Amino acid sequence: MKKQALILLLSISWTWACEDQGQQEILAENDPELFVPSISKSLNVGSFPQPDRNPMSKEGVLLGKKLFFDTNLSSNGKVSCASCHQPQLAFTDAVPLADHGVTGIELDRHAPALFNLAWNTTGLFWDGGAHDLESLNFGPLTHPNEMGADLTAILTYLNQQKEYLDLFENAFPATPIQSATMSRAIAQYTRTLISQTSRYDLWMNGEIGFNSIELKGYEIYQANCSSCHEEGLFTDLSYHNNGLDESYPDPIDKEGVFLGRFRISHDSSDLGAYKTPSLRNITLTTPYMHDGRFASLEEVLNHYSSGIKQNSSLAPQLKDGIPLNKEEKEALITFLKTLQDDQFIQKHLQDNPDLP
Amino acid sequence: MKNISYLFLAVLFAFTSCDKEDETPAQMNVKITFDNTLNGNPLELNQEIFTLPSGESFMVKKFKYYISNVILTDSETNTQYIETDSYHLMGQDFNSSIELGMIPSANYDQITFSIGVDEVANSRTDQTGDLDPNNDMAWNWNSGYKFVVLEGEFIHESTQERTGLVFHIGNNQNYATVTLPLSGLAAGKPASISLETAIDELFSNPNTLVPSNLASTTVMGGPVADQIGQNYADGFIKAN
Repeated sequence: MKKQALILLLSISWTWACEDQGQQEILAENDPELFVPSISKSLNVGSFPQPDRNPMSKEGVLLGKKLFFDTNLSSNGKVSCASCHQPQLAFTDAVPLADHGVTGIELDRHAPALFNLAWNTTGLFWDGGAHDLESLNFGPLTHPNEMGADLTAILTYLNQQKEYLDLFENAFPATPIQSATMSRAIAQYTRTLISQTSRYDLWMNGEIGFNSIELKGYEIYQANCSSCHEEGLFTDLSYHNNGLDESYPDPIDKEGVFLGRFRISHDSSDLGAYKTPSLRNITLTTPYMHDGRFASLEEVLNHYSSGIKQNSSLAPQLKDGIPLNKEEKEALITFLKTLQDDQFIQKHLQDNPDLP
Repeated sequence: MKNISYLFLAVLFAFTSCDKEDETPAQMNVKITFDNTLNGNPLELNQEIFTLPSGESFMVKKFKYYISNVILTDSETNTQYIETDSYHLMGQDFNSSIELGMIPSANYDQITFSIGVDEVANSRTDQTGDLDPNNDMAWNWNSGYKFVVLEGEFIHESTQERTGLVFHIGNNQNYATVTLPLSGLAAGKPASISLETAIDELFSNPNTLVPSNLASTTVMGGPVADQIGQNYADGFIKAN
């Protein structure tokens, strides 16, 4: 009823205002339905950031989801975004370094988990080289050993599919299908991957209780981990050298990929520094680190307690490591399990048509 | 000298205003052409006939660059034509001219443009036209654009071997704005502004680069890239 009144009102003003009345009415009816996801307090974030040029719409997310799971975007028709970012693994792929791209050649970095991306405004990728999701998508799409896509060929493919023509028209009315709109749709979809319904979140929201070991683990986390894995998103969205290696190889054909954040910032204090990954869903995202070198959480905790390699760019918080005894490590891992968000996984399985 | 040219201009103006004012069309068609050179000769791709300022034999395989934010100025009347959405990908065996089309008439005597793309355009790659990432000028691991791309092979001084040389120069600090004087443009008359790039200037002035001495002959960022940026900021593009 309200909507009708609004349309009537708008129609009247158009009749007065301009000559393109008919065209504008059609546009208004076809405008994508914008929405902002609801956000749990337990994420400890203010608003839902998104770029002005790409506000999230139901139609855009629907299109983005189809693109995300479409293997036809890749050069051999066999690899989609979801090949390395599988929903049931919190959008990771369970291997240290993927070799399931179009060439079968092993990648240099571990596939990062995808969730709560909207708040990653300090850069994306392990080294923060991508400014936003809209720019990031061209990386995996065109990387020769990932999807190896030719963007022009993708546009040809999309323009030949009736379903895509409709989806694009709904999401981006009166705009030709372009690399830009394709990437924007994927960005809208990946921004909807919001993990905020783990047992930890329920506990924070007062809906459930923690047992004594979980509580102890939470205290150990707060005392030892929370300066980088800040509570809420469980990452400070910053870059640190966490003492994995003493020195870093720099082969000429690798474009500095082993140098960490230095590759982007050219600041020597960023040598070997990578973005703090979130601890959310950590039980689903094994193996760990930017190169997937640790197969288990136990190995990770052993690294922090006794494996830190010293060099000049080491994060100062880690100079003396994080010494934890066996019991403390077990309690910490028990707490980390509460960060697994099964509801989030269920919601985003490929076959689940429910979009936020 | 300056006074004389002002006088000359003033006289010119006097004549234009008396005789032709009524006839001067409100708009004029302007295009800008770019000729690429090396060793003072027209550039040809894949030809082993060039040398670098360092004396090393050099063959160019790819040469592309962004020209952006074009402004024409008539300094006498303080009139400016500012092209909107002004991003142009130029290159050898690629685009060699910018069509400004019909623009307001003026006695334009200055052209200003930038090499590379400005910070705003350089902050994201989901763009269209000449900034479309289809153009192979967007970085896929470091959001932004390559401003100047030069790829080729040189003969290494010590090994005497054909060695790949790759310059992918970008980053906001290497966005360079250039202003050049123009002559011969008259209000209302179609004009073709002829500019020339000199690849030699990427290797010299103020920073001398000798590829055989470079720690890495693939330059995609860091101090050497910034030196090349300083080099192309001045003297790389001149009025032909």
